[in-house]
Amino acid sequence: MSILINIWHVMQREVRQMFARPLYMFASVGVMLLSTFFFLTLMRQGAAEQMPMAVVDLDQTSISRRLCHEMQATSSVDVCMITSSYAEAREAMQQGHIYGIFVVPEGFYSDLVAFKRPQIDFYVTNAYTVGGNTAYKQMLTVANLVSGAFQREVLRKKGMSEDIIMKRIQPLTIEGHMVANPWGNYSVYLVSTILPGILGLICIMLTIFAIGYELKMQTSHEWLHTAGNNYTVAMIGKLIPYTLVYVVLGIGCHTILYRFAGFPVNGSHARLLFGLILFIFAMEAMGIFLIGCLPTLRDAISIGALYSMLGFSLSGFTYPVMSMLPAVQALANLEPLRHYYLIYVNEALMGAPVQNSMVPALSLCAFMLLSLIAAPRLHKALIYQNYPLK
Amino acid sequence: MAHHISRHLWLQTLDTYNVFITELKRIFRDPGVTVIFIVATLVYPFLYKAIYWNEQITDIPVAVVDMSQSTESREFLHKWNATPDVKLAYSCASMAEAQKLLRDQKVHGIIYFPYDFASQLADPFGQAHISLYCDMSSFLYMKGVYLSCNQVMLESMRSIQIDRYEQMGMDKEFAWTLVQDAPYTETALFTPTGGYGSFLIPAVLVLILHQTLFFGICMLGGTAREENNELYCIPGRRRDYSVLRIIFGRGAAYFVIYYTLAVILLVALPRLFNLPHIGQVGDIMRFIVPYLLATIFFSMCVSVFIRNRESGMVLLISSSLIFLFLAGISWPKEMIPDAWRYLSYIIPYTSGAHGFIHLSSMGATLWTTRAEYNTLWILTAAYFIIACLLLFFTGWYNEKQKALV
Repeated sequence: MSILINIWHVMQREVRQMFARPLYMFASVGVMLLSTFFFLTLMRQGAAEQMPMAVVDLDQTSISRRLCHEMQATSSVDVCMITSSYAEAREAMQQGHIYGIFVVPEGFYSDLVAFKRPQIDFYVTNAYTVGGNTAYKQMLTVANLVSGAFQREVLRKKGMSEDIIMKRIQPLTIEGHMVANPWGNYSVYLVSTILPGILGLICIMLTIFAIGYELKMQTSHEWLHTAGNNYTVAMIGKLIPYTLVYVVLGIGCHTILYRFAGFPVNGSHARLLFGLILFIFAMEAMGIFLIGCLPTLRDAISIGALYSMLGFSLSGFTYPVMSMLPAVQALANLEPLRHYYLIYVNEALMGAPVQNSMVPALSLCAFMLLSLIAAPRLHKALIYQNYPLK
Repeated sequence: MAHHISRHLWLQTLDTYNVFITELKRIFRDPGVTVIFIVATLVYPFLYKAIYWNEQITDIPVAVVDMSQSTESREFLHKWNATPDVKLAYSCASMAEAQKLLRDQKVHGIIYFPYDFASQLADPFGQAHISLYCDMSSFLYMKGVYLSCNQVMLESMRSIQIDRYEQMGMDKEFAWTLVQDAPYTETALFTPTGGYGSFLIPAVLVLILHQTLFFGICMLGGTAREENNELYCIPGRRRDYSVLRIIFGRGAAYFVIYYTLAVILLVALPRLFNLPHIGQVGDIMRFIVPYLLATIFFSMCVSVFIRNRESGMVLLISSSLIFLFLAGISWPKEMIPDAWRYLSYIIPYTSGAHGFIHLSSMGATLWTTRAEYNTLWILTAAYFIIACLLLFFTGWYNEKQKALV
């Protein structure tokens, strides 16, 4: 009973501190609100459209102008530059104004009708992946269209019907299906891992700060005293108020993404949210582990920042873990965000059965055990305050 | 008179030098700041290089559902398997089986040949279909699976067309010309390998410089606040505060350290890591100057509001992600809503990253990059003035508080 009362006292003390320093609320609620608003408005449109590109028209005939029109016809690119100078287009690319250059050679039309096979060249930049890719796909389509259009003319002259001509020109087609994200929406792809990742960042940094600040200000005796000199009571009492804030933020983030923004969930909402909450606990536990190993606020904060920022790359939501070096693949398992991402893929994208998410969920639980490993060292540090303050 | 002015200037220079030396001492005597300034800046690039070591995504496992079981489908699969992008990992009897593999993430794509695949191809007027299912858990899977399959499809399609025209009685030569009447070449300019690392690491290198300076200066500002050390005073002389001398002195200390680091990160590392580095070294070295100055003064402005050593890092850690996306590197700048795009220009990173990518990865000259270069000088001037004003008001406010006590 006295344990519960002590927990209550520590919680009261913690809540007072939380509101006494604006940092806690700014760094949790403020940052989360700002990030949610930022990322959802930033990628509002979902797919890359109207990517600027140039057509270098050295031919200047009706057919080369028609090519420009064809290029412009889809929403994916915007021919914002039609020029007769390749050098000019290349410079525009170096200035970041365009992502692709489509060159129609001189004498294109006359060579085409004379069956001389004039050559089209197109150039993309890989320095900007999304823009370069979008422009590439469109230029490839148009370049293939040229052959098709010409064949159509020849076949028409031979008196074939349009339907048959179409099958002639396209004897083989690919029907592409994008599983779980049929719109190829970038926002769904990026934001659904970035936002939980930022929440995790908040959890680890604030957990380190909340504990480390007691060491730095040498208030750890008072803290332990409030807890009846019981380390476990002190920890539980301290973490409950923060955890509540994080869980509320997690539920809010989940609701905004999957209810309001309409991101798909093909599996279970409950399991996805449960995964997020396990992730929050794992990040908090990692925070305790770090401040336990390095009981100096400054060091733990720096290492915590380094560690959690790497999580974004190592989770594999942009560059797949499969393609990383074997040693790095092993390291990726040390990031809770990696395991949350796997749960997200199973639940939100694949609608996989529950057993597929068991291993990542248990891995997140394993992170919680790390906080116990660090406990004796952290307890000693709280008692003896024998680490540098700055 | 002239003697007076020159003596005055000499004293001012001496003060500035004094501030400069004091700041260098503060940096190197503070392990926290040294770790951020030196260790983090030099270690991070290697970590990112290790993560993105393999530039290309190769051998993406895919499942095959071949209902036609024909020579044609096998030939197609054979060609596809020969591309570096994919690896035919499983052959499935049904779509359900393949979908289970995709769901379990054993494969990241499914190719499906319908029963009539071969007969449609054999029919001179037929049209055959292939269905391709791409895993969207990473866009790079989709890119690899889809583009390589499309390439094989185009190739196969041409040979089918030629066969059919020949059957129609066309001359082989003519059929060939007709099918490929306008051949094309595709060229990836500037970065021929086109790997993910070549794209992302340059932007990350610029971000590392920006964020370590930002956090380091905030930490120094917070420490000074904690110790009641008036940063607005010339060291050792209370009540004598000159904003200009202090900002020049401190700025010079950061600049000296960071110029060295920036040359390592932006000139040496791209060569060591074999990232695209086709720029003029001289141009890059000149571009670094306004980038660092703008970042230093920007950070000084923010650091005024930081109350203690660690709180800046806790509060601002997620700014790294926000700055990266705001700059319009991963997500194209054309797609960024106007309000955010205008805001992005006030962050030195935006112009710094684009400018560096244009110079180093795309071989632009400093003249071609003048838009970013000039923006950075404007930011330098603006943040310098703001930093002076903020420092002046902090000094004034603190003196007033002291007077009240």
